[in-house]
Amino acid sequence: MSTPPLVMTRATKRFGAFTAVSELSLTVPEGAIIGFLGPNGAGKSTSLRMALGVMQPDTGSISLFGKPPEIATLKRVGFLPEERGLYKKMTTRATIEHFARLKGLTARDARARAIELLDMSGLGEFKSTRISKLSKGMAQKVQILSTLAHRPDFLILDEPFSGLDPVNQQVLEDLIRAEHERGATILFSTHVMEHAERLCDRIVMMARGRKVFDGTLDDAFSSLGRGARIAVIEGFDLAGALAPSGFEAHRAPENGPGDAWRISLPRGTGAQDALRAAIDAGAPIVGFAPEEARLRDVFVSLVGEADAAALQESETGEAA
Amino acid sequence: MRNVYLIFRRDYLGYVKAWGFWLSLAAVPLFMLIGGTFAVFAAKSSPVRYYAVVEPASIYASAIEAEFVQDDEAATQQARDLAATMDLRTEHQAALESTDAATPRKFILVPAPASSIDALRPYLMGERLVSGPLGDKPLFAVFIPSADGTSLEYWSDDVNVGTLRAVAANAMRRLARQDALSEAGLGPDFLAEVDANALKVPAHRIRAVAEQTTTGSKVTMADKAPVYVAGGLAYFLWLMIFSIIQYLLMGTIEERSNKIFDTLLTSVKLTELLAGKLLAVFAVTSTMMVSWGLFAFGASLFATSQIPGGASLLSPFLAAFANPSIIIPGLISFLLGYVMYGMIFMALGSLCDTIQEAQTLLSPMMILLMLPMFAIFIAFQDPGSPIIDIASWIPIFTPFLLILRMPHNPPMWEIIAQMLIMAVTALTILWLATKVYRAGAIHGAGIGDLGGVFKRMFRKKG
Repeated sequence: MSTPPLVMTRATKRFGAFTAVSELSLTVPEGAIIGFLGPNGAGKSTSLRMALGVMQPDTGSISLFGKPPEIATLKRVGFLPEERGLYKKMTTRATIEHFARLKGLTARDARARAIELLDMSGLGEFKSTRISKLSKGMAQKVQILSTLAHRPDFLILDEPFSGLDPVNQQVLEDLIRAEHERGATILFSTHVMEHAERLCDRIVMMARGRKVFDGTLDDAFSSLGRGARIAVIEGFDLAGALAPSGFEAHRAPENGPGDAWRISLPRGTGAQDALRAAIDAGAPIVGFAPEEARLRDVFVSLVGEADAAALQESETGEAA
Repeated sequence: MRNVYLIFRRDYLGYVKAWGFWLSLAAVPLFMLIGGTFAVFAAKSSPVRYYAVVEPASIYASAIEAEFVQDDEAATQQARDLAATMDLRTEHQAALESTDAATPRKFILVPAPASSIDALRPYLMGERLVSGPLGDKPLFAVFIPSADGTSLEYWSDDVNVGTLRAVAANAMRRLARQDALSEAGLGPDFLAEVDANALKVPAHRIRAVAEQTTTGSKVTMADKAPVYVAGGLAYFLWLMIFSIIQYLLMGTIEERSNKIFDTLLTSVKLTELLAGKLLAVFAVTSTMMVSWGLFAFGASLFATSQIPGGASLLSPFLAAFANPSIIIPGLISFLLGYVMYGMIFMALGSLCDTIQEAQTLLSPMMILLMLPMFAIFIAFQDPGSPIIDIASWIPIFTPFLLILRMPHNPPMWEIIAQMLIMAVTALTILWLATKVYRAGAIHGAGIGDLGGVFKRMFRKKG
């Protein structure tokens, strides 16, 4: 069995009295694509910096490809930091070339790779453009390309979608999938749950420096009860109508046509079953929606409303 | 080493590709060229002016003219004395001594066109011209004895040019002395003869017997050149350190504000990063200094080629520069001094987010740098001063003062001890500065939070 790219064992990092990360244990197996989720301040970036050896844990241990993080091992890693930064006076090609060479590529290979990546990502015509002349999104693209230039075995991306417009977010999602297909192991942090839902086969959730969930998406969703929403003409008692069929219904607060009800789906039943039962009971239906569980709901159920509000703040800030 | 090279390469190219670098590189030679051309042009284009003395017997005029001749002779003698200290071949020495060092005369005596100031007014104000050896010109100045005979009044429309008046004042003093000597029954050249017969005080350099037998004891430029070379090297080090402040501060601030440290530190070790950056700034300033030095050397070669045997004028300086007893301790002091000051500035730069923050650091840095400058000045004037002896043991002064003391053959144990102290200090600064840099660059400690900086510096774990 191959050595996991990353193993963190009870890693703790404190800054004075503040504990940024508390006893985090995490294993990233080879070939995995893992989402590292949580609101701002949850300890994601500190954890990733510890994983890379930029910071040392106060207690606990870190193993990168079976060894403590060191420059030789880090040659196999591509890291995109949360706080983006490039040399503003360098051209796009020189930037990618420089970082690729620092990761061990020869001058010739680094140059060829820089040109290949720029052409591939639609930035070919900006090869000789200085970073300072690019838009923020384009500069961010260049930094992502710099991270990929040496074809790393393990990609650590800290908030990679932050600052990108929806089109470029999609481009980046495709890029991450392509890197995964190439064989790279990927660990990325985000506070936008939808990216993780679309990309990850496993997620790790953090809140207040602690790991609150570590498992597959299915595990996450199954931890929540599933449901459906049915709207009926005002005044109709849907709870009473569905009770004989074994479905439990509660009034939902949404505004819309008619009265909205949330139906809890017992194990082994689906939203269609609830709809059929309502029709059979003669309910005057004006609206129906199967209620799909979202990671946000899982997060809320795991950490409570306070941290969920922090997550919402993070997302709002990002959207702004 | 590869990583150090890559960091060095990027930083060096980053600096030299900036237009400001080329502007700085061109500024000094351009300034020297413009300044030199301007000085030559000013000297050549300075107008020749007419002056007159209103007197019947031409006593004052003769005295003033004689003073001009005295000045010319003094300038020529000064040039001969300087030539005598050079190790020139006999024919070159003779040719140099025969060179007239006097500058062309800028004031020419003409007969006074009138005898009263009212009548002279139109000539002095340029309304009328007087004739002279260079044709018709306005009268620049006129001397008129006062009615009571106690002064020789100087009249001119342009009183800012004071040369002629100063020469006349000296001439009048000389004339008064001659009158006094004459009244005492002594000849006018009495004082000059007394001076000529006074005992000379020639300088001799004491050397080992064998050396003295071959080279003699005459003091030449070869005896003074090591002091000048050491002084130049010490000043060069100071200038280089002075020049790197902005590079190290701004370069580090750029990286801190660009948030690029995390990316870099997953590719290179912190020590490699610092070494590469320090080398890059060293190379940038060296490029500038060497370019300026080459320009100055070329200019010196050109200048010396204009005088007989001039090429050999530089040989004592080149010999002093190649002297291992000066250049080896000099280079070691130079490198250790650069590392000490460079690391201090780089560490401080890592604590600044903005140029404004860095500017608050510039004043203390300047004071820190002015102290060695004062020490260099004192050491150059009086290298044996006890204060220089003491200061040379203080590590921040040692790089400069050790270089300056080398031509005076300090005891070997002092040289070795001072180098060791410098090396230990440089290593300590390197260690501390790396910690400050780590606190600033990785943990985000800022100059406004020195308590936080110290805490982060001495954390057990990064």
